[in-house]
Amino acid sequence: MAVCIAVIAKENYPLYIRSVATQNELKFHYTVHTSLDVVEEKISSVGKALGDQRELYLGLLYPTEDYKVYGYVTNSKVKFVIVVDSSNTSLRDNEIRSMFRKLHNSFTDVMCNPFYNPGDPIQSKAFNGVVSGMMVQTG
Amino acid sequence: MECQEERPIIYTMENKPIVTCAGDHNLFTSLYTSLAQQLPREPMEWRRTYGRAPKMIHLEANFVQFKEELLPKDGNKALLTFPFLHIYWTDCCDTEAYKSSVKEDMLRWHNSLRTHGSADWVIIVVESNDTKKKNKTNILPRSSIVDKIRSDFCNKQNDRCVVLSDPLKDSSRSQESWNSLLLKLRTLLLMSFTKNLGRFEDDMRTLREKRTQPGWSFCEYFMVQEELAFVFEMLQQFEDALVQYDELDALFTQYVLNFGAGDTANWLGSFCAPVRNWSGLLLRRPIDMEKRDSIQHEEASLLDLRSYLFSRQCTLLIFLQRPWEVTQRALELLHNCVQELRLLEVSVVDGALDCWVFLSCLEVLHRIEGCCDQAQLAANSSHTVGLWAYATDKLKSLGELCGLVSEKGPTSEDLNKTVDLLAGLGDERPETVNSLQSPYKKLKEALSSVEAFERHYLELSHAAMEMYRAIGRVRSARLVGKSLAEFHMRKGDPKKAETFLQEALKSYLSEGWSLPVTHTRRQIAECQKLLDRKEDYLQTSALLAGDSNLSTEERTHFCQEILNFAGKPGNPSHKATLSMSVFAQLTQLQFHPACASVHSGAALKVELTLRCMMPISVHIQQLAASIHFDVDHGGTHGRTKRAQRRTNLGVIEFKMGDSLAGLPCSAAPGPSLELDEVQDRSPSDNSLNSTGVVCKNTHLLLHHHEGTSLPDTLNCVSPPTVTMKEGAQMLKVQDVTLAPGNNSIVFTAPSGQAGTYTLRQLCATVGEVQFVLSHIYPSVRYEVYSQEPQLTVEPLSEPLLAGLPQMVKFTLLTGHYTVKKGDALQLSNAETLPILPSTSCTARISSPTAELVSESTLSIQSSEKVTSISLPPTPPYHVLEFQLEVVCVIPSGSERPANERLTNGEVRHRPRSYSHPDTPMTAIDQRMSIDCPWSIYSTLLALTFYIPFKTKHSLLSAGNRKYIQVCVQNVSDVNFTLAEVKLTEKQHASLELQSLNTKTHQLLCSKHSLFCLWEVRWKDELPSCMKCVFSASFSPLSQDTSAFKPFHYQFQLERVTTLYSVKAEISPPAGEQHCRSGLLCGLEVCITRLTEPAEGEIAEESKTDPDGLKVTKLMYEVADSNSNWAVCGKSSGMVLMPMKVNATHKVHIEVMPLFAGHLPFPKIKVLRYLPHTAALAIQPDPDSCVENDSLSLLDKTLDDQGDTASIRSRGSVHSVGSGDQQQRGVAMPRLEAFSPGQVFNHSHTQQVLVLPATDDHIMEVNAT
Amino acid sequence: MAHEAPFQLLHSELIHYICKTADGADSENGRSVTKLENMGFRVGQGLIERLTKDTARFKDELDVMKFICKDFWTCVFKKQIDNLRTNHQGIYVLQDNKFLLLCHMSAGKQYLEHAPKYLAFTCGLVRGALSNMGVKSIVTAEVSVMPACKFQVMIQKL
Repeated sequence: MAVCIAVIAKENYPLYIRSVATQNELKFHYTVHTSLDVVEEKISSVGKALGDQRELYLGLLYPTEDYKVYGYVTNSKVKFVIVVDSSNTSLRDNEIRSMFRKLHNSFTDVMCNPFYNPGDPIQSKAFNGVVSGMMVQTG
Repeated sequence: MECQEERPIIYTMENKPIVTCAGDHNLFTSLYTSLAQQLPREPMEWRRTYGRAPKMIHLEANFVQFKEELLPKDGNKALLTFPFLHIYWTDCCDTEAYKSSVKEDMLRWHNSLRTHGSADWVIIVVESNDTKKKNKTNILPRSSIVDKIRSDFCNKQNDRCVVLSDPLKDSSRSQESWNSLLLKLRTLLLMSFTKNLGRFEDDMRTLREKRTQPGWSFCEYFMVQEELAFVFEMLQQFEDALVQYDELDALFTQYVLNFGAGDTANWLGSFCAPVRNWSGLLLRRPIDMEKRDSIQHEEASLLDLRSYLFSRQCTLLIFLQRPWEVTQRALELLHNCVQELRLLEVSVVDGALDCWVFLSCLEVLHRIEGCCDQAQLAANSSHTVGLWAYATDKLKSLGELCGLVSEKGPTSEDLNKTVDLLAGLGDERPETVNSLQSPYKKLKEALSSVEAFERHYLELSHAAMEMYRAIGRVRSARLVGKSLAEFHMRKGDPKKAETFLQEALKSYLSEGWSLPVTHTRRQIAECQKLLDRKEDYLQTSALLAGDSNLSTEERTHFCQEILNFAGKPGNPSHKATLSMSVFAQLTQLQFHPACASVHSGAALKVELTLRCMMPISVHIQQLAASIHFDVDHGGTHGRTKRAQRRTNLGVIEFKMGDSLAGLPCSAAPGPSLELDEVQDRSPSDNSLNSTGVVCKNTHLLLHHHEGTSLPDTLNCVSPPTVTMKEGAQMLKVQDVTLAPGNNSIVFTAPSGQAGTYTLRQLCATVGEVQFVLSHIYPSVRYEVYSQEPQLTVEPLSEPLLAGLPQMVKFTLLTGHYTVKKGDALQLSNAETLPILPSTSCTARISSPTAELVSESTLSIQSSEKVTSISLPPTPPYHVLEFQLEVVCVIPSGSERPANERLTNGEVRHRPRSYSHPDTPMTAIDQRMSIDCPWSIYSTLLALTFYIPFKTKHSLLSAGNRKYIQVCVQNVSDVNFTLAEVKLTEKQHASLELQSLNTKTHQLLCSKHSLFCLWEVRWKDELPSCMKCVFSASFSPLSQDTSAFKPFHYQFQLERVTTLYSVKAEISPPAGEQHCRSGLLCGLEVCITRLTEPAEGEIAEESKTDPDGLKVTKLMYEVADSNSNWAVCGKSSGMVLMPMKVNATHKVHIEVMPLFAGHLPFPKIKVLRYLPHTAALAIQPDPDSCVENDSLSLLDKTLDDQGDTASIRSRGSVHSVGSGDQQQRGVAMPRLEAFSPGQVFNHSHTQQVLVLPATDDHIMEVNAT
Repeated sequence: MAHEAPFQLLHSELIHYICKTADGADSENGRSVTKLENMGFRVGQGLIERLTKDTARFKDELDVMKFICKDFWTCVFKKQIDNLRTNHQGIYVLQDNKFLLLCHMSAGKQYLEHAPKYLAFTCGLVRGALSNMGVKSIVTAEVSVMPACKFQVMIQKL
């Protein structure tokens, strides 16, 4: 499904970023980092656009020839970014949504974990597991 | 008359729904214009089927002459050519004509319509007055014609026949009929639309349902649905039109996906054909007929279809004023196409797609520019920038493909490629042939030459970057910048490249993206190497060598780069200087000793922990730390404490400026807030108004946020200019090897001069390279102090007892002084404090850390003046200890030593004794003055001794006989044995003191007292004054008798002779045998002179009795202290006493016992009466006063029981009168008490029996 | 209203513990309240993360404050803030007329001197929540008549 999943802190540094082993990790770092531009654009345009119900899900940030980059922002300004392969057309919008929800739930648990210090990179195995679940290739 | 001509239908916006006209042609022609004009004037609501929202539409029509062949054959799907309404025109008004001709014609028309099953027709009857005028003959009511027509044609469809009256007049009437006509026409048209489109859509749907069946053709279906789209477009229903295309789009996409999923639909054939033409999108025509045809003939390639589809959507979107949707869809389309071709495994020439995408991007952009003004474009660049960037990318990859990006131009092979690609573009489209800036031209030119390519590429990239910047997509802009940098690198222009890279690097660093940082750094390193910017390159290499994101090999490579540079000899004057943080980090610093404070010359070690970040161990020629020294005077132990507090146990931790793994500064927390509780009390009564929690450091928190600066390790994208200041002093170690990870390096710190040493910089030298830590923070300093020698003496055991040998401990802190051989302490002896020469006196020498260094025996020479203790050689800042035995002589009574000078020439103090608050013992401060080799001044030390004994004496008399009692009280905690108790009198040889003490040795336990008694015997006469010395020897009970020490107590007795004896008799009242309480009895006092007048006794010269004897006045006083007696009459009186032996004087006094029983006699006092003239008996001399109080302490308790004689009471004046009379030299008669021994009172302890009174009552009376 | 009792009691114990373990210096220079506040901070962070998981994105600062006063407060203290005031310059005053953590202690001025300890944790709670929402702030508190109290939020403009 996803080829890269990233969690980015309020201050825009990566709390967690993982991509499928097969592909060039660096490229994803660049992609995700660049996507922050659009995330910020969307966040800042809150309320301006009419009939925008201020969802946490930001939708498709931008497509590239090879990837589709989706965004999500928690109320704590933590950003989730999911990159999927453009060739993977089996994924519909609501599937992406549910992925983000899963991610958010798991992240919340991380935040409430006494052994996690907010702002530190995420090492939680549980979280990692959830991410792995989303990255397994399904056709 | 264009309406009548046959014209081939071209699918443009000029299309209008077709309406056929039959019947009277000239009539129609006359009305056509106004009709055509007026029909669209009013909008009409179109109610739709399938729950689609109703629309208001303006209807237009294309009126054509009715022809049989216009009517649709069945099965014909064409909609645009479909006549939606058929009109028959007539203005016939007489029945004859109607019957004869018109009706036939109408019938023919009507039948042909019916045969083609089109029910959308209307008959319009035009009537005007002038037509009436023409033939007045047999006029029928107009209505009749209409009625006829109606009855003939429209059975129960009366509305199919409409009357239009006086159309060419403008009268309200004609206007009315026009309106109703138009309304009718519109209604009918719409009805027809609904009916026919509905039917069409149904057919279309059924056709779509068949799509799974073999032989079904997408292209065919495409044409059908597009027909519908066209109609909507014709009706200006662009939304609906667009929907048609979107459905087609979706349908196709779905097919491709299914194909991808394995379902091979045969119709895909043509689309899977290899791509031969890649001449981008074409958006400048409303309809690209070529492509449409190719689709119609099922020859379209995938790109053709997509292009056509998009061009239509684009057109409609622009009609709908949604240009930005165009750009967005365009981007999706392009991506999608690329994907689809991949999915369908369509074979494409390398770069062909890039060309197609590039051209398409530009085409879209041009189209948009064509329909928006500059302002709009600027405002919406967020929508267009994507296309720009995409185009840029594609151009770049094309350039690379065609070898236009390499330093040495394209190879022949590249050129072939280029040619093929250009071939695929075909000829330029007519629309753009004569526009200079067409995408086609751009691409052709860009691929034509290296220079041209560069120009175009840079132009595009910069455009893209600018737009990104403009809309605040900085990161994207930087990414473009990066690829631009790569381009420059390829072109061998590292200078240009670096600026872009550095900019990008900054943003990655500031946002803490380690991987991009690493990658970008590597590129920068490459640039710097090419640019031959040594230090920068080394700096970057160092960073990379320590970068955990890189493989060990890579890291080792960069590390090696540094070492290589370091290896080759450069100019010694200038070494390459890098910031140390990239090479190794100072993590910890530790002092030994921990207090970080030593005396001058002592050893101080500084241990650094360096975390080396190099992947391999690095050999360092020298590691040096520069020191800033500043002298501060009086640096002593005091500051040591501070040093300890500042650095906990000498360990200083340095927080990690971890360059990459760590969070960026933006995340670094500011100062943590500090809260406090507050209480607000009302000023009036101190009651609490309110309490709360407040923040103590608000100001800090509120202002810390502006300007978050990066930690310098992050910051050093280019190495900071660090220089090693050559400090005067340095910590240095040579030739250390730093292994990866933590290394500990130990320095020996200079500690020569006393003062504060602050570590400033750290510098590691590796050949030609220096790594400098320009500022050690938190600041690290150590102190060196110097100390004066100190000599102290303290008792080994508290308390020191006077009179006994006691151990005292001498402690010498040598400080900065070195005790040389032959150095000695000179103690000036005081005989009150002799130092006992002991055989074995050893001195311990121990280091500051209190471990024993050496022991040696002291040699002590004592003369009677001086004791000199020669000290063993001792190094500085050591401790020299030894013990001496001293004795403090107990001052005995009244010895008065002359003030002698001490050897060192200062006046020697007599030890003063005083009573110490916390012991009952009397304390003596013994000062000793010591001359030390290190100072010209002699050291004064004081020891406090305590006298273990309190001694007091008393004189006891019995008539003439005299006894002396001495009481020794042991106030110490030690038990003693007392021996050889002696009392001696010096002056009077005749005098003999006979001891009445039996035991020789006496145990005197702590807090016990010992009483000794002597009888005084004398020959001829008792001296008026005796100087006695009580002496005993004592030793602690534990020790043997040899350790006996003498104890002396001196005292003096004066006027001990008994002058008078006083006797008293109490005689019962007359006739009584015994005294009775309450009855008066007689008291007879008889005072007898016992001795001749002694010298110093004052007589009253005037008063002499007849015998010429000297007389003296005595005063007696009868006082009963404890009111057993009532004295009646005068209780006191004066007697003249002749001063001769046995002179007696009797006094009779009445007294009354108040109680029964054996009552002690009332007290009888005898005092000397001194006339005012008389001089004072004794002038007390000041010395004796001194003497007195020096001893008064010894017998303070004596005074309490003041009746017995004491030295103190000697010569002191006891007055009966009130206090003021006491002053000396006041000429008044005075009373003077006798010294205790001088008057012996026989009645002292006498008692007399008193019987109780017979009558209590009386007694009671008397008692009152 | 038994369900909030555990929190109430635990909270009191917490304070008791902190103040017991504090040495003289601590208590007098307010280190214990600071300690409590910091605890609250961490709790606030976690809690708000959880509570805002399903809410719409906040429009602005005020939006966040409202959430704190309504949902957040209700979740922790079983009631809403009674009154929220702001000067639109980054200062907000939240007034709770019957503050859960005080109402079991006293009504009026009794124990008033101890009240601050019982507010520190909550100050932290609010600050933590806000900071996790990206609103850096300083939160202080004031009581004059228990169980009513005011919390003042001062936004740190970045």
